[in-house]
Amino acid sequence: MNSIAADRAKPGAGLFRVRQILDNVEAKPVSTALTWPATLNPAASKRYYFWLVAPAVALLAFISIYPFFWMIYMGLHDVEIGSVVWNDFANFTRLPSDSRYVGGWLLLFQYSAMCLALQIGIGVFLAVALNGLRHEKILVTMLLMPMMIAPLVAGMVWYFLYNGTFGWYHWLLQSVGILGPKSILGSPDTAMLAIVIIDVWQWTPLITLITLAGLKRVPQDQLEANMVDGASPFVNFISVTLPNLYPVLLIAIMLRFMDNFRFIDSALVLTGGGPGNATKILPIYLFEVSFKFFKLGRGAAIALTLLVVTIILGMILAKVFDRLHPKRT
Amino acid sequence: MVTVSIEKVWKIYGRIPAVKDLNIECANGSFLSILGPSGCGKSSTMRMIAGLEHISAGEIRFDGRRINDLAPKDRDVAMVFENYALYPHKSVYENMANPLKLRGQAEVRIRERVLAAAKLLEIAELLDRRPQELSGGQKQRVAIGRAIVREPKLFLFDEPIAHLDAKLRAHMRGEIRHLQRTLGTTVIYVTHDQLEAMSMADRIAVMHEGVLQQLATPREVYNKPVNAWVAGFVGEPAMNFLDCTLEETGGQVRFVHPTFRIAVTPEQARLLEASNRAQGIRLGVRPDALTISLAKSKEESMTGRIFVNELLGGDMIVDVDLGPERVRVKTSTDFAGNEGDVCYITANRDKWHAFSKETGRTIF
Ligand SMILES: Nc1ncnc2c1ncn2[C@@H]1O[C@H](COP(=O)(O)OP(=O)(O)OP(=O)(O)O)[C@@H](O)[C@H]1O
Ligand SMILES: [Mg+2]
Repeated sequence: MNSIAADRAKPGAGLFRVRQILDNVEAKPVSTALTWPATLNPAASKRYYFWLVAPAVALLAFISIYPFFWMIYMGLHDVEIGSVVWNDFANFTRLPSDSRYVGGWLLLFQYSAMCLALQIGIGVFLAVALNGLRHEKILVTMLLMPMMIAPLVAGMVWYFLYNGTFGWYHWLLQSVGILGPKSILGSPDTAMLAIVIIDVWQWTPLITLITLAGLKRVPQDQLEANMVDGASPFVNFISVTLPNLYPVLLIAIMLRFMDNFRFIDSALVLTGGGPGNATKILPIYLFEVSFKFFKLGRGAAIALTLLVVTIILGMILAKVFDRLHPKRT
Repeated sequence: MVTVSIEKVWKIYGRIPAVKDLNIECANGSFLSILGPSGCGKSSTMRMIAGLEHISAGEIRFDGRRINDLAPKDRDVAMVFENYALYPHKSVYENMANPLKLRGQAEVRIRERVLAAAKLLEIAELLDRRPQELSGGQKQRVAIGRAIVREPKLFLFDEPIAHLDAKLRAHMRGEIRHLQRTLGTTVIYVTHDQLEAMSMADRIAVMHEGVLQQLATPREVYNKPVNAWVAGFVGEPAMNFLDCTLEETGGQVRFVHPTFRIAVTPEQARLLEASNRAQGIRLGVRPDALTISLAKSKEESMTGRIFVNELLGGDMIVDVDLGPERVRVKTSTDFAGNEGDVCYITANRDKWHAFSKETGRTIF
């Protein structure tokens, strides 16, 4: 007993007395010099996959790849009705000096970052709160309703709620004294928040839904092992649940940021980019250039830059999450 | 180091009882094995002790203190799960370091402990891998490692070495036993392998269908099983059972079977007398308490026919047909009988058992 105590007092020794399985007890496996086989059998043919996807690819080429190249073509020319003139990349070279283009990017990033932060935060919180509740199914169904509404209609609904003369929120916020004399959509400070809120209102349920699906897949045994290891429920959430949610959160963030970069229906209805240029995020500016001023060449150039940035961001996101959650088989 | 008392504990899933009125006392620093076939409620018991499962009725106490409502992290137990339960997004090292990290240990100490445990479990070269890249046996060793890096009050092992190969299993049996002796930590060890329970435990709790059958030392469980079920479950090869009637002639009590009539000892006769023998008797005798011979001996013996011989390295098991029943006899490898030969079996009367045919209860 004393020797054990003495052993344990020594740092780094004693606790585990390692008993080796002696080599000479084990029979040495027979080893022969192996030569690589002369021929390897071919891998199973997957050629039929080609024929399975061919029709879809052809259709896609027709309805999406053709317009894509047409857009590149337009971006390189001055496009007017009846005339298409090569302009030495002027559509692109003029972009950096266009303050509304640069400002559009900044606003877009600001808008998307706010939307994402709020949606992910609230969405995950709601999912965790709902998960395992007795009436989970009914509550989730109710929660999903904003998503079912067409964005344009949602924009109209919120337009009335925000309205400076009869809007309910306007009345509420002004009575409480938070809002100044200007209306919500009329003031540059609150207009951006207004379009963020509508996006959050409409799309948080999607995040909740995706996260709930992810939560169902969090392995119970890992949670239990971690509890026994000494984790509090909060630590357990951070160290086991969250890492298991990364893949679904990646999908959620991808979906939402791409939508933020594309869909402008409700923002267009609510503010149309105003007041001034306070909410003129890049896609709204793009819309104006192309379809208000009919500068189709410039519009195409802006659209191309938007597309490239979207793709790059998407790839970075995928990399980041891959690092956090490496999948190896 | 803790005394665990399980008192009148029930586990009821919905309406299905998995553990029924369980009473176990596990002394401070002792090694208790819970042994039973699949589905008998072993894991349920462990999970209640660990705090992962609500205790439907009754209570569990650590050193006299009721722990029913204590969160798992506050119970200071370490558990090895049946299905490993490793964290797939963490490396083997991080998996094993997790319990220490959660308890705020210094990085140096964590490293030292994890490396020592890894060396013991022969997984030192796997520390950078992720669980998906390990074999079942390797995963299991990582799971054991995660439990033993800490010095908890109580170790809970739920079939921790079931997926290892035979040699490594034998090695790990020794290591776990040695570890427990060294640390003096109380261990509750679930297994369905009676050899594991026999070789490691101070005491064995044998369970069947959620009910505790016997709680005793391995020797006692083996030599004095409380009923026919325990007798049949413990021991490899399993005990032979023969339904007999009793006959009393000239002051001698005999077991009567179509193939034999054998007298019992006077002591055993008294015990049979005291029991309710109208119900019939089941004779139980282990293969190693039987002696087989091709020549009829002077002793009263059973007459049978050899069905098949099985060579097990050092010993031989002979299956013998005794009328409609079959018994297995352990003998030495130089036994010369062939299949189909008539043979004679004598029993060691100090080592046989009689059970009530109706209730299965042990008479002697
Ligand atoms: N979550 C659950 N819900 C319902 N029934 C359960 C649940 N867990 C276990 N059971 C049932 O309780 C009984 C005991 O299960 P338990 O897991 O304790 O068995 P076990 O002795 O550990 O078996 P094994 O050796 O196969 O691991 C089984 O009949 C099982 O079907
Ligand atoms: Mg089990």
